[in-house]
Amino acid sequence: MSKAGGQKKTVVQRLSLSVIMTVVVVTVVSFACCVGITAYLRIYRASVEGNAITGSEQAIKQVHSTLENYAKDIEEIMGLIRSSMGKEEGEKDDFLRNLVEVRKEVVIITEYDNHGNLTNCWQGDNRLKEKILQNLSYMEIPKGEEGLFFSSPHVESLIENYYPWVVTIAQRMKNHQKEEVLVCMDIRFSNIASYVDNVGIGQHGYCFIMDGAGGLVYHPQQQLIHAGLKSENWELLTGRPDGSFLQEDGIYTIQSMENNGWKIVGVSFVDEMITSKLDGMAKIIGFLLFSMLLATLLVGIFSSKLVSSPANKLMNAMQQFEKDAENFTFCQVNGTREIAALSDSFGHMVVQIQNLMEQVRREEVTLRKTELNALQAQINPHFLYNTLDSIAWMCEEGRTKEAITMVNALARLFRISISRGHELITIEKECQHAESYLKIQKYRYKNRFTYQFDVEEECLGYFCNKITLQPIIENAINHGLDMCDEGRICIGVRRRGEDILMYVEDNGVGMEEDRCREILHREASDRTGIGIKNVNDRIRIYFGEKYGLHIESELDVGTRVEICIPCLQEEIGTEG
Amino acid sequence: MKTGNRQIWLSLGGIGLLAGGLVLLIWIASSGPWLFDLGRAKEGAENRKHYVAVIVKSTTSSYWKSVFAGANAAKTEYNLDITVEGPEDEEDCQAQNQMIDRAVEQGADVILLSAVDFQENAQAVERAVLAGVKVVVIDSDVDSDKVSCRISTDNYQAGRMVGETVLDTDSQAIYVGIVNFDQVSANGQQREAGFRDAVAGDGRVAIVAAVNVNSNVESAKEATREMLAAHPQMNVVVTFNEWTSLGVGYAIKELGLAEETKVIAFDSNVVSVGMLETGEVDALIVQNPYAMGYLGIECAYRLINDGQMDQQVIDTTTTVVTRENMFSEECQRILFAFD
Repeated sequence: MSKAGGQKKTVVQRLSLSVIMTVVVVTVVSFACCVGITAYLRIYRASVEGNAITGSEQAIKQVHSTLENYAKDIEEIMGLIRSSMGKEEGEKDDFLRNLVEVRKEVVIITEYDNHGNLTNCWQGDNRLKEKILQNLSYMEIPKGEEGLFFSSPHVESLIENYYPWVVTIAQRMKNHQKEEVLVCMDIRFSNIASYVDNVGIGQHGYCFIMDGAGGLVYHPQQQLIHAGLKSENWELLTGRPDGSFLQEDGIYTIQSMENNGWKIVGVSFVDEMITSKLDGMAKIIGFLLFSMLLATLLVGIFSSKLVSSPANKLMNAMQQFEKDAENFTFCQVNGTREIAALSDSFGHMVVQIQNLMEQVRREEVTLRKTELNALQAQINPHFLYNTLDSIAWMCEEGRTKEAITMVNALARLFRISISRGHELITIEKECQHAESYLKIQKYRYKNRFTYQFDVEEECLGYFCNKITLQPIIENAINHGLDMCDEGRICIGVRRRGEDILMYVEDNGVGMEEDRCREILHREASDRTGIGIKNVNDRIRIYFGEKYGLHIESELDVGTRVEICIPCLQEEIGTEG
Repeated sequence: MKTGNRQIWLSLGGIGLLAGGLVLLIWIASSGPWLFDLGRAKEGAENRKHYVAVIVKSTTSSYWKSVFAGANAAKTEYNLDITVEGPEDEEDCQAQNQMIDRAVEQGADVILLSAVDFQENAQAVERAVLAGVKVVVIDSDVDSDKVSCRISTDNYQAGRMVGETVLDTDSQAIYVGIVNFDQVSANGQQREAGFRDAVAGDGRVAIVAAVNVNSNVESAKEATREMLAAHPQMNVVVTFNEWTSLGVGYAIKELGLAEETKVIAFDSNVVSVGMLETGEVDALIVQNPYAMGYLGIECAYRLINDGQMDQQVIDTTTTVVTRENMFSEECQRILFAFD
């Protein structure tokens, strides 16, 4: 991220993990659903249609066999009538009267001569009409035909105040005188009607009976058809062979009956079934899809919670760490195992890096201190030679007193500069150190300069870095007072607010501004021992950036070096 | 250690959520048919609530039985609940008003009404409409403009048909007697008006007597006998409903005037058809009560589902059946119902 941060982000980099996951899941789920639904619906529709046709055919077969049985039953009755016809008049009469009484579905049996005149009839308890307006039970049958003939359903028109719907079955028979007669039997139609009424195919399917010419024999809703409130597709059905066929509005199954040429037609509505079921399916699928999307959304949110947002947090934490490693505090990020592991490792890394940084810093400080201490320990050899030369020369000349003073000063100089290895010494000692140095130099330079201390009493007890003043004084003597005759060096210590201000003033040649700056940054040469830069560095290492040296200088007027340190009552630490 | 625990919990939670979602999906998938059934059952329950009260004038005549047959066929088709009731006495409009009020109390969605009294039933109908129940009138109208739909024979036209049948004769002098049922019933009056208008223009016709009787066989028979006795020249009797038709028929039969008197009657049952065949009655004006019942319920269904009907008035068919055409295929179907 750190590299990409500054550059243009690519598309991939802009996408978050959870968005990709959500999109992928939704796409896959939708695609799978679509494919599944399409395939399922196709198979489902085909199978429903197949089922509907099979169901319709089975139902119609059932109706067919029932009606065929019924027809067989009727044929048997006709057989009985036929055999009775050959008998004597009285016997025949008794038999047929009994038959009409026993078989309730038989309404009336009529017998006609060759000219179609009603010669005989048996009607049970019912009364024949005195005057027959119209005989609907009579059927014209060609001479010589032996078989059974079935009429369309009609109303019984021979009996007084009784108008049941009947079907007439007619057959030519021989009576006992071997004359050909026509026998018609009216069978109550309501049995067939109520049976057909109760046939159901599928949810709303039904069956009805039509004759070979396309006329309606019986329909469960025939009153609606007669009233013009409903109609069947007669054109379509007339002349169709047996079998099933699928129309836009439904499945039609036709089966013909053997004897009477009637056709049983089953109507069922596959579309209705499919549509209603598909509605249900659509609801379910819609619900499924919706819940899948919901689940996906949940998973997306959850995974984002689980993966992305911790990852983002981690990312932010890293960026912050990058900006400010030192002051960064890491809060543990929770998330999936991977994220948590990353977070853990990062946490460890942060702590480790911070420790390392701290360590490096401390080591550097120590290194510097050691380095400085080593430098402090070094005494400028030239200074030592020259001083010892001077002392030797004094002794030779017999200036014993002076020599003693010199040796004492030198001894003190060394004692203080070592100070049992302590870095911080009291300002009093520092001043003694500076004074010893000045004494020696004054002898060496043959009183070419004067010096004076201006130290506030209260400051003497505070601590400061050792060998702070000496390098500055050395610089003042070497560079400031070299050429001038009446040099004057003024050393002061005073309290300034919370800090202590030490200063070294000379009235030497002064420096240009560039040089002032240079001095603070230039390493000391071997000859000059501990340089001013060194002093400045030491103060800063010990007390911080706000302390240190400040040089003001004016050419031909003089130089003033100010040293700022904190008020320190006790020596801190003893390292180095 | 703490973060480790938390992580485990989070993982477990995630797995649990996913597993829960999966189980839900499987449950939905496997219970699909059940949901489907539930949907259907709910649909059924919703429809079962829809209740249509059919309140008519009488429950005994074959005319009304035919109405009920049509209503039942439609009820099955449209999946509605219906109740069928009518006063014992065909004049009893108070009983009918109580039935209307009770149907409203019982939460009927639609009332299918055949009003006994054009005026007296109006208030009950308006009460019902005010209570939010829609009213569909079949057969006999009521004096209210709050009725959603009217399904009946065009009574005036049917009356005209009677008139035209009367005029269809060679006879030069037609003396007509009218036996109508109660004066308060709207359709009887409309039929009579239609009849009177149809014969008014013909000079051969003279209406010599008009009586109003209670709608039952006995009173119609008595009234006819008296009328025929009072007006021996009368050669045509017209009458306008099922019961009065029978009364007139019986009177003619008892008086032996089947040949001499032409009777134009209304509606059909086994007896009146028998009379048509034997000559006491010469023509029957047959309405289509089955269609009325069926269309009435269909209309109620539309009102329940759509709230209104496009058609305010639906006329059902009327057929003239005479001795000559009574056994034609079409008339057989009109006159004789399956048992």
